[in-house]
Amino acid sequence: MMIDYVVFLPLVTALALLIIPRGATGALKGVALLGAVATFVLSLGLLALGRGQVLDQSLPWISGAWTAAYHVRVDGMSEFFVLLTTLVSVAAIWAAFSYAGLERLRGFLCLLLIFETTLLGLFTAGDLLLFYVYWDLMLIPVFLLLVGYADSEKARRAAWTYLIYNGGGGLVLLLGLIGVITHTGTFEVLGHSYAFGPIEGWLFAAFAVAFLIKTPSFPFHAWMPSTYTNSPAPLVAMVAGVQSKAGLYGFLVFALPLFPNAAHVWAPVLLVLAVISIVYGAFTALGQRDMKTLVAYSSLSHLGLVLLAFFAFDLTSIAASLVMIVSHGLISAAVFLLVGFIEERSGTRDLDAFGGLAARAPRLQAIMLVAAMALLGLPGLSGFSGEFLILIGSWQTQPVITAISLIAIVLASAYTLRLFQAAMHGPERIPGERPYGDLRPREILLVAPLLAAIVIFGVWPGWLTDRTPNSVTVPPARAASLGHRA
Amino acid sequence: MIQPVSIDWGVIAPLTVLVSTGLLVLLADLASNAAPRKLLYGIGAVGSLAAFLASLPLAGQVQATFGGAYATDGFSWPFDALLLLTLAVTFLLSSLARAEDGGNPGAYASLLIFCTVGGMIMAGSTNLIGIFIGLEVLSLALYALAGTGFPRRSSAEAALKYVLLGSLASGFLIFGMALLYGAGGSIALSSLAQAASGGGPLFIVGFALFLVGIAFKLALAPFHIWTPDVYEGSPLAVTAFMAVAVKAAAFAVLARFAYVVFVHDAPALVPLWAIAVLSMIVGNVGAIRQTNLKRLMAFSGIAQAGYLVLALAGVGRNGLATLVFYLAAYAFMNLGAFAVVALIGDGDEHHADLAAYRGLFFRRPVPAALMMLFFLSLAGIPATAGFIGKVLLLGQAVSAGPWGVAMAVALVAGTIVSFYVYFKVIWQMFAPVDSDIIESNGNGLASWIAVGIGAAGVLLLGIVPQLLLSRL
Repeated sequence: MMIDYVVFLPLVTALALLIIPRGATGALKGVALLGAVATFVLSLGLLALGRGQVLDQSLPWISGAWTAAYHVRVDGMSEFFVLLTTLVSVAAIWAAFSYAGLERLRGFLCLLLIFETTLLGLFTAGDLLLFYVYWDLMLIPVFLLLVGYADSEKARRAAWTYLIYNGGGGLVLLLGLIGVITHTGTFEVLGHSYAFGPIEGWLFAAFAVAFLIKTPSFPFHAWMPSTYTNSPAPLVAMVAGVQSKAGLYGFLVFALPLFPNAAHVWAPVLLVLAVISIVYGAFTALGQRDMKTLVAYSSLSHLGLVLLAFFAFDLTSIAASLVMIVSHGLISAAVFLLVGFIEERSGTRDLDAFGGLAARAPRLQAIMLVAAMALLGLPGLSGFSGEFLILIGSWQTQPVITAISLIAIVLASAYTLRLFQAAMHGPERIPGERPYGDLRPREILLVAPLLAAIVIFGVWPGWLTDRTPNSVTVPPARAASLGHRA
Repeated sequence: MIQPVSIDWGVIAPLTVLVSTGLLVLLADLASNAAPRKLLYGIGAVGSLAAFLASLPLAGQVQATFGGAYATDGFSWPFDALLLLTLAVTFLLSSLARAEDGGNPGAYASLLIFCTVGGMIMAGSTNLIGIFIGLEVLSLALYALAGTGFPRRSSAEAALKYVLLGSLASGFLIFGMALLYGAGGSIALSSLAQAASGGGPLFIVGFALFLVGIAFKLALAPFHIWTPDVYEGSPLAVTAFMAVAVKAAAFAVLARFAYVVFVHDAPALVPLWAIAVLSMIVGNVGAIRQTNLKRLMAFSGIAQAGYLVLALAGVGRNGLATLVFYLAAYAFMNLGAFAVVALIGDGDEHHADLAAYRGLFFRRPVPAALMMLFFLSLAGIPATAGFIGKVLLLGQAVSAGPWGVAMAVALVAGTIVSFYVYFKVIWQMFAPVDSDIIESNGNGLASWIAVGIGAAGVLLLGIVPQLLLSRL
């Protein structure tokens, strides 16, 4: 029940927004924020789950040629995916107050809340069909927000790229699911192991393609720059911060435990894709003038590290992957929101067209500095903990790949400092002499929890380590033998 | 010596109720010189609901009457129920259409009813002659219905095209049936099973011609050429009826034929799988460039008919349940979408133009959101009936061996293309408007009820599919 409340509270809030009378903007904002905060507070209750503990409940749903269950579960790992979602959602929904005209604020908030429900549903689904339901439903709010609420022709075009890539990935996943049930007869596969025989490799590939598109990873990332760049800041905070974790979650909970042999067979391919994502993302970020595109490519680079952690099959790196996942979610959400604040003040995202905001917005500069340092991996902040632990671990099994990935760590400092310096320092330049001010209290309050979490996990990454499922952390020796056998 | 035929009235109760309704409508039209349209449609709607209720007790029963020529079983009652529900919704939609009944509501209403009677005869017949009679009753009534928007030239064009091509298809069908009779020595489908396992040339050619006739009715490619023009020209309510009812009746025949004649998957069915894949390609690709919603729905119907064939892949267990489920989903999402068009257009045919939907969400959020629901279901997005239907279809197909897997892959590929088609409509509704759009402010209660029925069906079947699945 507890899980259902957390998942559906945002949806109920969205429905409640529909009956608020026209013009009552205050009530609209109040109810939306209250719903998001209440969801976050409720989800804090899940923190009681320690390593290896599970809260789950299953009801029969469909039975016929195959069966599916309404099975929801949260364990010591997925609680952090849930918390990341609820925390980022509070910030995004609060930030959304200043986006979309008052006319369209209701729709904007409703869609963000529905998006939150689909994400929470995904991270708590214990049944493959239920997982897929949320996986596909996620497309709808994002597509609609891009089409109807971003107010640019580019965003409306980006909506198509987003839809076709992610929808296509979803359908490949659906084919994989159908392949699974022809062997299992049920979608409730969690906690069981099956012998899929010769088609295991194909099934894993179908799952992997869908997950790599959503993350995204090279070469499936073509939808990402346009979507991230053209989305309103609250939306991109949720897409980059939370939705990008859906595929990684899928690997951890479904693909790796279900298809252990195929995962090892495909590992070299995935490692190569990961290292290309890491290096290519970093190099491309270096060359961007658009702030959002720059952060988008940095995201490609950082999430490649998580894939490296999975497929290096080293105990340390897999155990640390959750640190990187949560940390990237917090940092990218914070940075995208802050970039949104900057854009609001400068009127442009072009780093060459403006600069020197620090002089008149010292608070913005201070907060942006913390976020930027987290992004480049300064020790003491969560970005460092994740990267460092993953690299230490994967060095054990994949020294070459890991060494190449180190290039990206150096480049991260370069592009992050460029982002920060070009926007904040140098002579004061604002196109059209816009009047701009420092961060308002609302804006500070909404990013503060994200920054606080970044510091907490930077200082105490141990809270997050060793929570990935046991079945994933196959000892390297056994992994090698599995690889040979298959 | 001629044996007296015993008639089990319980088996034909829904038919009896519906035929009586048809006669009642004709009488009411005759009695008053100008019977109000709403009265006639009201009688029709109530009669079809009564027949629907009469069909429910037949669920799960297997009985035959007329010397075994007409049966009620799994191949008939779910299809009957669907046909009757479709008829009731069509009457709701018709009450909005101004002067689209050719100024003769009595004839229009009775034609709709007798058309449905034909469909039910098709679904219940266990021999070739019964199937042909039902098909002709259905077709002849539909030819006339396509032309009831007569003052519009496109409606007359639709009727003429439909008659000409439809007669040709009927010719194929009856010729095929003659050959099948020659192969099996009897008009009963059950006697064809032996001929099918023998696979002689007479049977093969007969079956091929039979298949052409049925494929025409189902608008399966390459026998779909008539579809876009006929859908576009016919009055909106007739188009909605045509899209759903004809498919339901023809699939009932195809399913009965497949399961009775081919006990196992047979090589003779391979052309059917090929036609299905071709339909998915033609339907989805053809829909991409359409700017008229009725034409778009025509192409979408071609593709959806292709998907539906997957239910029969391998002629396996659960195939019939899968077919009925997806057909029910298809009925709800199509009728719902047409009902929104009727609601927005207020009976005006120009509102089938896609451009009229630009920015609709920001002007009329509720109809736009419901329209989105129906198109999401057509695209197979979860939490809708269309999604569960597609999962059932895919599961059915994949369990049927290599041909089935190929069809499943084709379905998935077709669905990706169809995303563009269906989301184009959603995109239009959510993209802000740059120009002024003159909007009629349709708000008819009847179409709201029709939209409501569609939405309830799509959501219930999408979220608690067991409601229907457990009864199949």
